[in-house]
Amino acid sequence: MRGVRFVHAGSQARALDGIDLDIAKGEFVTLLGANGSGKSTLCMLANGLVPHAVPGTFEGTAEVFGLDVSKYPVTVLATRVGMVFQEPESQLFCMSVEEEVAFGPENLAVPKDEIRARVEWALETVGMNGYNDRSPMTLSGGQKQRIAIAAALAMHPPMIVLDEPAYALDPIGRVELFSLLKRLKEQHGMTVLLAERDPEEAAVYSDRVVLMSKGKVVASGTPRETLLDVTRLRDIGIDPPQVATVSALINERLPRQAMSSITIEEAEVAVSRLLSTRPRSISR
Amino acid sequence: MSGFVDLYTAGDTFLHRMDPRVKMLAVLLFSLLAFVLSELIHLVALLAFIFLLLVLVRASVSRTMFALKFVLRFMALIMVMWPLFDPSGTPVLAELGPVKVTVPGIVHGLTAAARVGCLATVWYILIFTTAQRDLVRALVKMGVRFDIGLTLAISLRFFPAFSFLIDSVMDAQRARGMDFAKGNILTRSKNYVAVLAPAVVTALRMTDTISLALQSRAYGARADRTYLRDLRMRWSDYVAASVVMIIFAVPVFARFVLDIGV
Amino acid sequence: MIPLPEADPGQRIVSLHDVKFTYDGGVEALRGVNLHIRNGEFVAIVGGNGSGKTTLAKHMNGLLRPTSGEVMVSGKPAAGLSVADLSRVVGYAFQNPDHQLFCTTVEAEVSYGPRNLGYHGPELSRRVEYAIEAMGLGGFSELPPLSLNLGQRRRVSIAAVISMDPRVLILDEPTTGLDAGEIRVLMESIGELNREGRAIILITHEMKVVAEHANRVVVMADGRTVLDSDARGVFADLEVLAKARLVPPPISLLAHRLASSGISRDIMTPEEFVFDMMRARGGP
Repeated sequence: MRGVRFVHAGSQARALDGIDLDIAKGEFVTLLGANGSGKSTLCMLANGLVPHAVPGTFEGTAEVFGLDVSKYPVTVLATRVGMVFQEPESQLFCMSVEEEVAFGPENLAVPKDEIRARVEWALETVGMNGYNDRSPMTLSGGQKQRIAIAAALAMHPPMIVLDEPAYALDPIGRVELFSLLKRLKEQHGMTVLLAERDPEEAAVYSDRVVLMSKGKVVASGTPRETLLDVTRLRDIGIDPPQVATVSALINERLPRQAMSSITIEEAEVAVSRLLSTRPRSISR
Repeated sequence: MSGFVDLYTAGDTFLHRMDPRVKMLAVLLFSLLAFVLSELIHLVALLAFIFLLLVLVRASVSRTMFALKFVLRFMALIMVMWPLFDPSGTPVLAELGPVKVTVPGIVHGLTAAARVGCLATVWYILIFTTAQRDLVRALVKMGVRFDIGLTLAISLRFFPAFSFLIDSVMDAQRARGMDFAKGNILTRSKNYVAVLAPAVVTALRMTDTISLALQSRAYGARADRTYLRDLRMRWSDYVAASVVMIIFAVPVFARFVLDIGV
Repeated sequence: MIPLPEADPGQRIVSLHDVKFTYDGGVEALRGVNLHIRNGEFVAIVGGNGSGKTTLAKHMNGLLRPTSGEVMVSGKPAAGLSVADLSRVVGYAFQNPDHQLFCTTVEAEVSYGPRNLGYHGPELSRRVEYAIEAMGLGGFSELPPLSLNLGQRRRVSIAAVISMDPRVLILDEPTTGLDAGEIRVLMESIGELNREGRAIILITHEMKVVAEHANRVVVMADGRTVLDSDARGVFADLEVLAKARLVPPPISLLAHRLASSGISRDIMTPEEFVFDMMRARGGP
């Protein structure tokens, strides 16, 4: 994306205000920002919903797998980019799981046998095989989200975009969702783009974190580069990962430690090392 | 209130397996037949036949009675009220002022009730043995445009969700002291604004997401889309269709062509 | 009206005695719950989706009536009182504010509740003004609620319940969809309401929020309360939390892992962690 600007119809403020961003194939990227930072709008740019389906004024260029987003319709971009929204209920509109997952390939006139194979594969990948005849209404929030992912996967897109997918999930549901996303990247080589308000999972799973605020990209880098600067995170309305806060606090008091842990695993190692070395002298 | 979503019960009876188009044809023809037949004895025979079908599809008696409870009440009402307003013919059983209860009057009442019973039960059997997706698929196969069929399917899918939403909104407003039972017509209508407005706004938001989701799955990409579960007429379906048409044709022929009282 | 002078702190305001509840479809949502809420408490009821926490909360204001067992509110059986009657004592702010908002201005929205209870004139204005101020909505009074963002709409829906002056305020997942800054603003207002003497019942699965604000935590799983303790006691019990599909905040998990190095198990915030770590280290 280069110089992307977007104003929603009926709004004054720029939802996206000059975005320059590159995402590499196979990367797991988290867009981190407070409400109103533009992360959802940016997600919808990936499959063309912005600018084709969402009314507003669009400037700049955005390309997905070589296709100019403003020139290709959503129906074409949808074969490259699968999309999952935050509300599990309203993105499942069919009466059975099988219909839901088959809907995408059916629209693409994929032959029946191929569709059947894709449905089985997609359900298997998200861990919901056997649920073919169930009605989405009988599923839990976490199961609904997994069906939504399966429905996107059935179109065999190389990239998947999720807008706050853990919105309606309980803590265990979150954990299960993120392990699935990790599997999609590692075992299936998919590019994963995710929008979030909570940085804890970004620290653990992302290759790259993009900090957003008021329609702009504030920083883009590895989790360590972006999540250790707790002041910057707070400035853009994000509570830093708790471990990063711990690192910052420790660095304040013991500057020579140069703590850079952002995950529980890293902190466990660093802090036990710290605790096993007693201070040589009592200094104030 | 969960609509008629719940009435479908999966099963493996011959009616479950029958092509929905044949079933819809049968329902249509049987409904017409209920009006063509005017002799009580014939209507009772038709009703008995329909009940036999109910037995064959293993519909549980209690569930059927529950689903049809309004119909049954309506039938009872007809059977009681009709004779009071139909003083035709003889013999007269009772007389009180302008009200005259006659045997033919009672028979007419029973006939009307039997008609209602036939209609309601045959539609019930259709819904009981046919999944909604198959009904919609049948309509599309018979010529309804895919997008209209999809709209219908999505409406059916979201009907219970919408109904649940209304319950939720009513609860939320009750918790703010709203009493839906109190007040005159005017107050109660204003009260319903407090339910409809949030429900409609929420529903509109949902439809926004549905629309984005549809597009994200390449809806409308090609005119020649595939259908995973398709409907195909088998020889048993053709046989059933023929049987139904014959059952319909005979009385109609007798009544309108041969002028035999049916 | 501020505070609630007749309320005896420590006295039971809502009591549930062996409450069982089964939904029409046969689902047993509550299997014998005993719970007592006292005036002025700040209780968090936590549990995964399907644990029964929302079902439980709806028994407190009469939206649901127990299949067996008894609910007492303000010393009287709830059975004889309508939802409208109970709403004078127990206020319930729903998870989705859009399920409540329907008026053309914030002020009208906040007046709706007390109006239903029979208030008008200066008494009504006083309540409305108080509620609007308490939720930080001064300046929004004349705006249409639907033009506000999610965080603001949620505050409006809570104000609409506060204006009825209940002694107990139930908040159903109030932090869903809010970013860190919005959560802070919201919880500050809630904390203030609690300090004025109102009991707060927070239904949530956001453990970070629970750690920072609740002094009592009730853990629910499968329709039963499995633990009822202060927040520290709950966070120390990983087993119970896991059974309830809950995950304690990362800092808690870190503390548990370092227990063998001398860190206490009931750490709830990064600051506490660092403090405890310095203590364990034996240095300044």
